[in-house]
Parts: sequence; C-alpha cells; structure tokens
Amino acid sequence: MIKRIKEIYAYRTMIYSLVKRDLKGRYKGSVLGFLWTFINPLFQLLIYTFVFSIVLHSDVKDYYMFLFVALIPWIFFSTSLAGGSTCITSQKNMVQKIYFPREVLPISFVTSQFVNMLLSFIVIFAVMIIARYTFNPLALLCLIPVMLTEYILALGFTFILSAVTVYFQDMQFIMGILTMAWQFLSPIMYSQERVPVEFRAIYMYVNPMAPIIIAYRDILYYGRVPELATLLSALLMGILLFVIGWITFDKMQKHFVEEM
Amino acid sequence: MKPENAIEVHNITKKFKVYLDKGHTLKERTLFSKRRKFENREVLKGVSFEVKKGEAIGLIGHNGCGKSTTLKMLTKIMYPDSGTIEMNGRVSSLIELGAGFHPDMSGRENIYINASIFGLTKKEIEERIDSIIEFSELEDFIDNPVRTYSSGMYMRLAFAVAINVDADILLIDEILAVGDVAFQAKCFNRLRQIKSEGTTIVIVSHSLGQLELICDRSIWIHEGVIKEEGAPFDVHPKYMSFMANNTLSKAKDKQEKKKEESKAVEEKAEEAKTEEAADNTEENKKPEDSNRWGSNEIVMSSVTVTDEKGEERDTFLNTEPIHVHIGYENPGKIENSVVGVAIYRDDKVHIYGTNTLIDMSKTLPLKDKGTITLVFDRIPVNAGDYIFDLAFHKPDGFNYDFWRDVFRLKINNVKGEAGTVSIEHSWKSDTD
Repeated sequence: MIKRIKEIYAYRTMIYSLVKRDLKGRYKGSVLGFLWTFINPLFQLLIYTFVFSIVLHSDVKDYYMFLFVALIPWIFFSTSLAGGSTCITSQKNMVQKIYFPREVLPISFVTSQFVNMLLSFIVIFAVMIIARYTFNPLALLCLIPVMLTEYILALGFTFILSAVTVYFQDMQFIMGILTMAWQFLSPIMYSQERVPVEFRAIYMYVNPMAPIIIAYRDILYYGRVPELATLLSALLMGILLFVIGWITFDKMQKHFVEEM
Repeated sequence: MKPENAIEVHNITKKFKVYLDKGHTLKERTLFSKRRKFENREVLKGVSFEVKKGEAIGLIGHNGCGKSTTLKMLTKIMYPDSGTIEMNGRVSSLIELGAGFHPDMSGRENIYINASIFGLTKKEIEERIDSIIEFSELEDFIDNPVRTYSSGMYMRLAFAVAINVDADILLIDEILAVGDVAFQAKCFNRLRQIKSEGTTIVIVSHSLGQLELICDRSIWIHEGVIKEEGAPFDVHPKYMSFMANNTLSKAKDKQEKKKEESKAVEEKAEEAKTEEAADNTEENKKPEDSNRWGSNEIVMSSVTVTDEKGEERDTFLNTEPIHVHIGYENPGKIENSVVGVAIYRDDKVHIYGTNTLIDMSKTLPLKDKGTITLVFDRIPVNAGDYIFDLAFHKPDGFNYDFWRDVFRLKINNVKGEAGTVSIEHSWKSDTD
C-alpha cells in the first residue's frame, strides 16, 4: 500500500494536468469561457430566489441562501458519483494502452469537481457579503475539515463506482436515479429538524452526507461552529468509505483492460 | 533476477474469456443469460524469455499469436494468470501516441498533459520541452491549438513526446510508421541513439525490415508459445517461409473446396484438372526451404555472377564491376514485378538494399521466361565475405520469390583501408 501511495505521488503531475485540462478544456471555445464557472451557480441562485422567496414564500429566513449553501456541496458530491462512475470507461483508450496507476483517474475527476466547488464558493461568499451576513472566523476555519471530509467521502464512493462500472455499465444509470433519491433524503431542501424524531438517528447516521450538509449550513448560514460530534461522525464515515473504496478498486483494477 | 538482465519473463500464461455476445447491462445479463456463453481462449501458454540490459528484441508472429498481449503484460496494463515478470528500471511504452491530447489546447499544453501521463514530473517535462519541440519540428505552431494541426503534425508531436521520455526499458508497439519518410528516418535514428545509450528495447512489429535494422534478437511467438528465437537474420526467413506456406495451404484448401463444388457438375474435366493441380503443387514445393519463400508465381531458376567479360567468378576486387544474371520462370504469367537486392556482410550487418521501385520508381516487365541482369559498377565495401538476397515482389511487399543467401562473394580490397565501406576521396595539401 505504501508503495502504491508512492507511485501515485510520482504521478502527481498527471493528476495536476488532467484536472487542469478538465477545468480549462470545459469552456474552451465558448465566448464567456471560464466565466461560466461563476455564471452557472449565480443563475441557479437567482432561480431559487425567485421560486422560493417570491413564488412559494418559504417561512425559512433567506431560504435561497439556506438552500444554496447546501446545494453547492451536494452538487460536488453528486457529480463526483454520477460522472465519476464513468471516469475509467470514458478513458478506455488510455487505460487499454498506457500504464499509470489507475487511481489517478478517479482522483483527478473528483479533484476537478472539488476545485469547481471551491470556485462556486466565491459566488457564495460574494452573495454573503452583499446580503450582509456576518462571518464567524472560527466557524469558517471549520470549513476546511468539512470540505476535506466531503472530498474523502466522494473519492471513496467514486473509487467503488468507477471500478464497478467497468464490469457493469448499468451502474452509471443507476447512479443517476440513486443520486436524485439521495438528494431528497438529505437535509438539502429542508432542515433535519423536519425529520420525525423517531427516524432522526437513522437519518443522521446512515447517510454520511447528512452530517456534512448540516455542518456546511451551520458554518455558512447560521455562522456557527458545527457540533463536534457531527463533524467526527462524518469524518469517520468518510475515512471508512475511502478505505473500503480503495481496497475494492485495487482488487478490481487488475482486470480492467480485459473487461473493457 | 540476474544482474545483467533488464527483463525476465518466467512461464507466463494468459487466458481470455471470449464472449460470443457479451452483455454489459443488467437487462442483457439477466434476460439473455444464454448470450453470455464464452470460450476460454488461451492466448499465452507458457512463455519465458530474458532480455539483457541494452539489448533490443523484436516480437514477431501473426495476428492473435499473443505478441501484443505479452507486450501489454510487460507494460503492466494486464497481468498474467500465472508466471512472473520481473523488470529492472524505469519502463516507458510507446503503444498509444497522443494520449490525453485535448484538441482545443495548444501544442505546448498538450506536451505537458501527454508527458505527465507517461509519468514525468513537471520538472522533468520542463527539462525536456525544448528538445521535444525541436524534435517535432513544430516550433512555429507550438502555441496553436492542436485541432489546427494536420494529422501528420499531430503524430509528430505525439511521437516527439513519447521518444523523449527517458527510460531504462522502452516498449514499442507498431508505431514507427509515423509521418513522412524523412520523419520516419529521424524517429528511427533517434531510436538507434536511444539504444546506443544503453536502453533496453522491446518492439512488436510486422515490419521485419525495421526489426532487422534495430533488433539484436527476434522472438517468434506462435499460438502462445515461443517457436523460434535468435538473430533476426536467421529467424525472419523461417517465419516468412512458414507464413508463405500457411497462406499457400489456405489457398489450396479454397481451391479444393471450389473443385469439390464443381465436381458434381463436370466429372470428366475434373480428372484432368486434379492432375494439373497436383503437378502445380509439386512444382511449387521445390524451391521452398527456410531461406526462400513466396507465392512462386515467379521463380528464380538460375543465378550466376560474372565479371564484365561474362566469366563466372566468386571473388572480386572492390573496384571491379559485378554482373548478376537472374534467370526466372514465370508460371503465374505476372506482367510486371519489382526486383530487389540486399547485401549483408557475413556477420549479418546489413550493408545495402535497393529495388527497382526505389531506383527507378517502376516495376520491370517480364516474359514467361527470361533473364534480368543487375550490374554493380563496383561494390565499394571493405574486404570481407558478403551475402546476397534477391527478390521478386509486388510494390506492396507481397513476395513472389524471396531468396535469402542466394550467393556469397568474397570481396577484396586493393588498399589496406579500415572500416565498413570504401569511400571515394582525395587528399590535397596547400603546399602543392
């Protein structure tokens, strides 16, 4: 395992190049180019504001913000899963012809989604400043471990899904449905307090994304330090899934080429 | 692992599941379980070989013999079912060119992406980027997006990256046919230079000529086992004659099938035909030995070497004219053929090769029976024994009759020069 980590480290430039290619290549040729990275979340925010603050009149204060600070991290997670499941099969040509540690592909994919999320956060912060939200420095500091936890979790899932998809291509479509269901089962559009008390324990501890989303909202929307227990349980689940994911991936990757 | 070896392959085997109709999706897998029938095809049945440091070897064999699978396992993109592969040093593979190229990004940016996929770090790429650009000859276009490149430029850039990835072991699969003739020659010279720097090279190729130019040893894999292994000069003729026999017997099978079909219709005519065919096959078999192969539509019947006076000789001075008279028979009634010659020194160094296509960009017209004379005004080599190959073939390389080691000549030198060839020269001092 140590050897493997060393090898992946030796290929760090490849990860960097692939992430860069993905981010730079995505909007190449379009007139607005890289600006699209900001325009997308901004327009999403405008639409949510219109629907939930003007049409639906939600009783939550600044519902658009309530939703937005949860939705951006969720989009990172769900794209990592849905898109990440094909990150090996879509690079078929490369995988079949060139040796490199296969982990590089899921790592690059998740990292590029992660960087995209960080860029969207610029929009979040800009809106927070304009809407005169108070920044709690200590809470903002907690954003780093929360983000890292989510990154590890997403990577763990992507490891498993990308490997399984090689053998079983339905996985990518199944994930499309699953992530949609998962979105509604996570406290993104509503607060976890809406969940009946008798289900809440299951709700919080079976779904690893629940504590993460709650932590994001605590930090950004409520401006408070998230509960340590929430953070810790999220981190533990993240690490567990990451380890399981990597072991699964390592077991399956030996036969990738034959199965493609 | 022995210290002098770069690669040791011990008894590797590999089976593939060949699905008759593979289902990848849930529906296909559950509903059509019958479709998932597969055969186990044994591609490699125990292959072992060693490659010394700095040695260049070629893997040859017909399609599906397992040579590419072997290379893939050396590259570590596949793993053997049993057996071990040990390698010593940094491995780089030239199997896929231009991996990861993004059409909208500049040539320079793509060099970074592509080289990083080969495992180079940013620092290593920066050290090499100038020589990569120089090698690709794309200095003026390097900051343009790759989509504006012609396919030749694209391949040149891709090859330039691949060939500049320094490695201890270089694995190459059928990719030397890149770009125009000049660039191909450049690639080949670079490959030779890499070899002389001590890099171990393994090449899979169908171009035996290329392999002969660079490899010290050829390994012929046939149906998953090594059939023959040795100097390319010795292995290739055997391989070629085996392949020619194979196609011949296949063609014969076809012929016989056809005959059987027509049998019912005209039985009488059949008898005569069979006799004729039998005659043909007997005749065809005559010149076949491991030094000679081809379809036998044209057959060299006699080859004599004379001086300008027509006297037969086997020893010449390197200043004397040499006439080679090639008598041929033309049972296949071929109208035109390329005629070629190759000269080797007796230690199998390739000295010279040419043919009518190269010399005059044309084929020679043939009769049913005749003689072609090839005149060397002189063969300017240094003293030694020389081996001559002759061939009649189509422009695409299909051989009517390829004859290795048709004759040998002893060539003497009047002066005591050193080296391989005798170069025309003169001296001048400014005191004269």
